[in-house]
Amino acid sequence: MDIVFQLLFQGIGIGSVYALVALGFVLIFRATNVVNFAQGEFSMVAAFLMVIFSVDLEWPYWISFILSLGGMAIYGALFNLGVYFPLRHRTYLPVIISTIGASILVSNSTLALYGPQPQVLSNLLDFPGFNIGTVYLDTQYLLIIGVTVVLVAFQYWFFEHTLLGKKLQATSQDKEMASLLGIPVATMIMVTFVYSAMIGGLAGILVAPILFVSIHMGGTIALKAFAATIIGGFGDVAGAIIGGLALGVIETFGAAYVSVPYKDGFAFLVLVAFLVFRPQGIFGERVAEKA
Amino acid sequence: MTNFTRRSFTSALALGVAAPAFLRNASAQSATIKIGQVVPITGPAAEAGKYAMAGAKIALDEINKKGGILGKQVEIITEDDQTTNPGAVLAFSKLATNPDIVAFVTSIRSTQVHAMAPDIAKIAKPTMFGGTDPTLTKLGNPWLFRCRPNDTFSGKVIAEFGVKELGLKKWGIVHSTDAFGTNGMKALEASLLALGVTPVAIQGYANQSQDFTPVVLALKQAGIDIISSYFTFENDLGIFARQLRQLGVNAPWVGSPSIVNTTAIKLAGAALNNTYGVADYAEESSPEAKAFADTYRAMMKVAPDNQSSWTFDGMHLLAMAINKAGKTDPDAVRAAMLSIKGYKGAEGEYNFDANGDGLHGYNVVKNVGGKIEFAKHIEFPA
Repeated sequence: MDIVFQLLFQGIGIGSVYALVALGFVLIFRATNVVNFAQGEFSMVAAFLMVIFSVDLEWPYWISFILSLGGMAIYGALFNLGVYFPLRHRTYLPVIISTIGASILVSNSTLALYGPQPQVLSNLLDFPGFNIGTVYLDTQYLLIIGVTVVLVAFQYWFFEHTLLGKKLQATSQDKEMASLLGIPVATMIMVTFVYSAMIGGLAGILVAPILFVSIHMGGTIALKAFAATIIGGFGDVAGAIIGGLALGVIETFGAAYVSVPYKDGFAFLVLVAFLVFRPQGIFGERVAEKA
Repeated sequence: MTNFTRRSFTSALALGVAAPAFLRNASAQSATIKIGQVVPITGPAAEAGKYAMAGAKIALDEINKKGGILGKQVEIITEDDQTTNPGAVLAFSKLATNPDIVAFVTSIRSTQVHAMAPDIAKIAKPTMFGGTDPTLTKLGNPWLFRCRPNDTFSGKVIAEFGVKELGLKKWGIVHSTDAFGTNGMKALEASLLALGVTPVAIQGYANQSQDFTPVVLALKQAGIDIISSYFTFENDLGIFARQLRQLGVNAPWVGSPSIVNTTAIKLAGAALNNTYGVADYAEESSPEAKAFADTYRAMMKVAPDNQSSWTFDGMHLLAMAINKAGKTDPDAVRAAMLSIKGYKGAEGEYNFDANGDGLHGYNVVKNVGGKIEFAKHIEFPA
């Protein structure tokens, strides 16, 4: 039974990372109707910023953390201006290609600037973990789970109970109508990119002590997060969270009880099953309609 | 418009058929001797690629200082394999079209060497490689020369050391499911069976995994008292090592060479303390290994490992074989390479056998607080 709890904890932990990145996917999708394939690089860039501030410059962890998130806010704004804004009146295809291009550009620029060597980022907390019975709880995973819960609550409050959140929702539902009502659509999309980059960056910073900081860290997570958004329902915030957690738990249990080498296979098997039998995902609308 | 006659068609066809032979023999005309190197400049192994290039560069400088090859200066032409098999094939094909390149130094990754092997056979020029999959020198491809001991030896040494020196019998094997990991695991299993030990748990994983909890729990459940591993990427090894210790598995661990890589030690930190590794390269194993380490450290400011030592040896072996042959003709160089006996390189003593395997033994080393200490060398007859 202890093994089940251990696997469950680990599955929820890794699932929370997928969920955080998936959240970023969903927010941008809702605002712009396109999938941002450079979402994984948000995580990677933030982790590298963290390495620069806290490891290279040896600044305190919290200052580095705030500076990295601040850097991600600027990065999100620049990303919007450079990748989405010039193509905003075109169909979804050029924008998707633009995000793929940005993804390649950013990861290769990081490689050129920082070199290929994977970097080590220490845990936020000094003690790595503790046991409850025979179940080991990694404090970094606990932190990730905690942050996911807080962010979900914050997101619910922000979108449902603040004027800015409602404006963002209106923009995502119908840009023309929102514009007619005096909502500055371009600004709202800018805010979405900034927020999404910060969430993706947060996921990257949190997962970096576990998976190490490398230019490939974003791609691996983003692929799973993308699957999570489809499982949960594209465009649905709750769906992204449930999808991410489900994916983490399914692949962990699948690996333990069926086959470790085919671990990634379970995640994508579930993805294919959803695309065939329930393309709208658990909560969302049909992908075909959105895309 | 030019008429395309049967004669011109036949001439073009004949030229096309004969081109590889021209490309193969046109090399001696160049002002310098060119060696092609396929190396990961981008992708997950880009860090290791930097080391591989440094090893080759150190050898290159030494060779040129001593007058080069056949009285000509030597230069290396590199192509990026992107750490992928298609990338490696593409990189090799690009180099193969350059008729001035007389020989190649390729990959440390067995899967990539497998991928390139058909093209290597086609271009028919001596090719040094570092992949340790035992089958690579049994493909019937006469142009492949290995500059590291193959996994039959690593498996034998791991099994001998664990069973005879440490006296442990309940083995758990963790391996990557790629060609390197799978064949390494098979060689180790065979060596253990030969010593009368049946492993109690064998766990494969796909490269670039983010979580090894299921693997660690399976080892724990099987009640192993010793772990052995064949990891391809240091990131995976780092994550596994940390989770292994976190989940309370403290059994002795004897790993394949990646366990003593500089990057792996940096990533895994204390989780790799007191682990053993078989290492084809160990700084303290010979004066030649020490001399290479001193030069490498002065240039790269990090400790050398097998990523650089085999390319260093590969370049020296090529220089020696071509000089011995007295020409760059591939068949003559091949014969000269196979006749090399007792050459002391950074990796060990080279005695090429008919298959193209240069080394036949391994060092066992121990990680003591992040420092690699030489334990013993185990050699098998060629």
